[in-house]
Amino acid sequence: MVEKRRIELMLCAGTGCVAGGAFQIIEGLEKEIAARGLEKEVSVVQTGCNGFCGQGPLMVVIPDNIFYGWLTLDDIPHLVEEHFLKGRPIEKLMFTPPEEKEVLPMLSDIPFFKKQLLVVLRNKGIIDPEKIDDYIARDGYVAIEKVLTSMSPDEVIEEVKISGLRGRGGAGFPTGVKWKIASQQKKTPKYLIANCDEGDPGAYMDRSLIESDPHAVIEGMFIAGYAIGSSEAFIYMRTEYQLAVDRMKTAISQAREYGLLGKDILGSGFDFDIEIREGSGAFVCGEETSLIHSIEGDIPEPRQRPPFPAQEGLWGCPTVINNVETLANVPVIITRGADWYSGIGTETSKGTKIFSLVGKINNTGLIEVPMGINLRDVIYDIGGGIPDGKEFKAVQTGGPSGGCIPADLLDAPIDFESLQKAGSMMGSGGMIVMDEDTCVVDVSKFFIQFTNDESCGKCVACRDGSEALLEVLTRITNGEGREGDVEFLEELGETIKDASMCGLGQTLPNPVLSTLRYFRDEYEAHIKEKRCPALVCRNLIQYYIDPDKCIGCLKCLKNCPANAILGELKYVHIIDQDKCTKCGQCLEECPPKVSAVIKVTGNDMDDLKQLSEIIPVPKKKKKKKTE
Amino acid sequence: MSLNLEDRKKIGSALVVGGGIGGMQAALDLAESGIKVYMVDNKSSIGGVMSQLDKTFPTNDCAMCTMAPRLVEIGRHKDIEKITLSEVESITGQPGNFTVKIKKQPRYVDEEKCTGCGACVSNCPTRNTVQLQEREVITLEPQYEETVINILQKHKDRKGPLMPILQDVNEVYNYFPEKILKYISQETGYPLTHINRIATFYSAFSLKPIGKHVINVCMGTACYVRGAELLLEKFVDVLGVGIDETTEDMLFTLKSVRCIGCCGLAPVATIGDDVYGKLQSKDIPDIIAKYQKKEQ
Amino acid sequence: MPKLTIEELRKKRESSKKSIYLREGKFRGKVTVHMGTCGIAAGAREIMNTFLDEFDNKDIIDIMLTSSGCAGLCSEEPMVTVEMEDSAPVKYGKLTPDKTKKIFNDHIITGNIVEEFVLGIGSERVG
Repeated sequence: MVEKRRIELMLCAGTGCVAGGAFQIIEGLEKEIAARGLEKEVSVVQTGCNGFCGQGPLMVVIPDNIFYGWLTLDDIPHLVEEHFLKGRPIEKLMFTPPEEKEVLPMLSDIPFFKKQLLVVLRNKGIIDPEKIDDYIARDGYVAIEKVLTSMSPDEVIEEVKISGLRGRGGAGFPTGVKWKIASQQKKTPKYLIANCDEGDPGAYMDRSLIESDPHAVIEGMFIAGYAIGSSEAFIYMRTEYQLAVDRMKTAISQAREYGLLGKDILGSGFDFDIEIREGSGAFVCGEETSLIHSIEGDIPEPRQRPPFPAQEGLWGCPTVINNVETLANVPVIITRGADWYSGIGTETSKGTKIFSLVGKINNTGLIEVPMGINLRDVIYDIGGGIPDGKEFKAVQTGGPSGGCIPADLLDAPIDFESLQKAGSMMGSGGMIVMDEDTCVVDVSKFFIQFTNDESCGKCVACRDGSEALLEVLTRITNGEGREGDVEFLEELGETIKDASMCGLGQTLPNPVLSTLRYFRDEYEAHIKEKRCPALVCRNLIQYYIDPDKCIGCLKCLKNCPANAILGELKYVHIIDQDKCTKCGQCLEECPPKVSAVIKVTGNDMDDLKQLSEIIPVPKKKKKKKTE
Repeated sequence: MSLNLEDRKKIGSALVVGGGIGGMQAALDLAESGIKVYMVDNKSSIGGVMSQLDKTFPTNDCAMCTMAPRLVEIGRHKDIEKITLSEVESITGQPGNFTVKIKKQPRYVDEEKCTGCGACVSNCPTRNTVQLQEREVITLEPQYEETVINILQKHKDRKGPLMPILQDVNEVYNYFPEKILKYISQETGYPLTHINRIATFYSAFSLKPIGKHVINVCMGTACYVRGAELLLEKFVDVLGVGIDETTEDMLFTLKSVRCIGCCGLAPVATIGDDVYGKLQSKDIPDIIAKYQKKEQ
Repeated sequence: MPKLTIEELRKKRESSKKSIYLREGKFRGKVTVHMGTCGIAAGAREIMNTFLDEFDNKDIIDIMLTSSGCAGLCSEEPMVTVEMEDSAPVKYGKLTPDKTKKIFNDHIITGNIVEEFVLGIGSERVG
């Protein structure tokens, strides 16, 4: 008997929403629905990540397709009564674009979703990732059927080659070519590894993909295994991604139960099985040779290539390592055909790409867009622009291996080549938006700190090079920059690029080099004028209370953790610069109407009117009127 | 770069003359690419001049830190053969096919003939007696034994079992007691040095006991630009411990972690399995107090 | 071990498709039960339940069953609106479970409007 309901509530149960209390909401909804005797009519479905993480916890009501965000437990009784019983959707919980008044009830009206093209994430929010039947119903495992009944392994490889699919892990190597090399090797057994060791800060595409549609990855792995002649596969996942690991485990055991993994699959005589391996928190393990070492139980350090893993990989056998997003593309290519797939995207970059859009942006979340879309569409249409009316400064793509793309390149298309030309890279797909309040030197320092921590230490260029970069960057942000530092950074960066063994080292100077290319003046301001234009670098700024604006309310004074503020009620407060730790608490505390606390940098610091003693707050009445 | 195997067929072997830092790196790179390497040095050991330096120009790097990993690596690399106390006498042939004559100095023990019988050790009259260590047999306390044996049993037939074993042990104990590592080494045959290197490589592993609640402050980019650093400072302030340290009552261990993938909620910290999104530093004391209260 | 053949997998797919049909958003028609306070008081819940049962019995999946607020004709409650593809919406009033069944069988299944219960055809002009 098919279970049928009048209304289905697609509750997002991705990590972001779970952290926001999605499980409690689900429990509350189920209780409330039962209390009103609607359990036969309304059911709650846990889906994977919906993508609009900034609105979480969220749900979509089917069949009306209404989107509700920022749910709380208190909303539930009202919601169930009004919408699910009486059929009156609640406007208060719907999405309103920032700086507009009109609410957008339907999911399909929200710009965040409108401009996306879902190929890999075709099932997100529609299926319950813990139910294999849901996946099958969405034409899941059709591709397996097709390859087993009508395609030889070579035909599969050819199809993938024609589709133009390139690796989604960052470097963009053509997937079909990689498979071909492995399939031509004589040595057996062959291995397949799905790489889900997603370590870039600010990127969570792979995690969401597995959380929302694990079977798509399994199906892709199966086809890859079939194509290269491998019966044993591993999926290497970050142990920090517990929810994704659990969903993958469930999915694998369901597939085994159905005989879609195991021996003699669908009576074809082909065997295939997948084992999950967890990493334990080492960024370098995302590099393919390190990853192999990690699975072997060896020290996870990269090794020299060639031989490439496709020739000699896991236990010396031919091994194909694909990113999970790459693999999730494969079933679609097989079912809908390479020609259909290669119709999406640009000349050299086909298909779609998932990005995680984070940072100083209104609509934080996970998006899938066709290759070739320009950055402006992504940031302003899908992302909804920069919050608080701030100015867009740059977008960082490709994580610690990528670079910053400034505002004047916003109209450049997003594909492998043009990002590279701009000094960045596709990377795994993190897209971090920065506004005028972000200091590029500080951000570069952050990335170098990260790669410096994560460098495995095997080769000098990367280990010591990152150390030297960090030292100079720290010096600059501390206001101790010297003449010639910029040139030194450039020279050192290029050397590290040339001399490092693996991808980690070869790309680690990118954040510095690309910001030097576009924001050189900011580096120079730090060094020559000891000024941080974005007002971020602590040693270069001062917090200052404007005596003309301060109302002497004591708020900042009471909350200052360093007791650095002098003053009395109705007397102008003064910050003792010797005591101030520049934590910014006073700026947060100062009421927005007053906004007497400001940050200043460089020469402006000398021009400030310094009070020598505490004076009463100036009479405000007249001033307010004239202002 | 061509991937055609025919183009990069490995022929013969390579000879590296001089075992200084340059020679060592060259030998390692060659050997890693699958070429048999002979390494000739006229001293009784490799290492060259760098081993006599404290710091190196221009970066003031510690010389030993650069060298030591390579020394170890060469020592155990199966494709590198060291020919010490030797000198090149002549080279004939042409690129791709050289014949090299090497003169090897005599030494105190002829490696070729030595059978490792140990008679020289027992008969040595000097005070520099070679001490051969008795290998101690490690037995675990009953409360550890069962769990660890179960874990070892579970992964016995796996290929590359070390990582899963360590992960399971870590799951149970939250850190690696020294004795357990020794026991794993004894049972699995992996050298203790190897296990130690792995145990210290990954950030999820620790050799020191850690607190009941692990506080992870996310330092991912999204959190960083939204002020995660201030949160971390506040935690340091409230707990009175530094990063990667544990409070005296063994309740909290403070860590900073790379992205945990909740960028939509930035800045984020996790305490155990609880996630605190859009965290503000002023909320931190209350949160900590909540956990402390639970323990009383 | 319960292993599937290709045939069985296909069958499974067909039956699973029904269970997620709602999410595909492809409907041939829409039945709206007016569930304002007045409607509920007049017995709209019962009408809704009758529809649910009938849909289940006949295994209809491509028609959306939904509720809405008061239609403004409280005296005629319980009311439903039936909109089938390519035809104007039809409003029925003062329903009972028996009348509902008849509407279901005649209008929804066979496509003949049940003239005797009709309140009106077409919708109010909007805007």
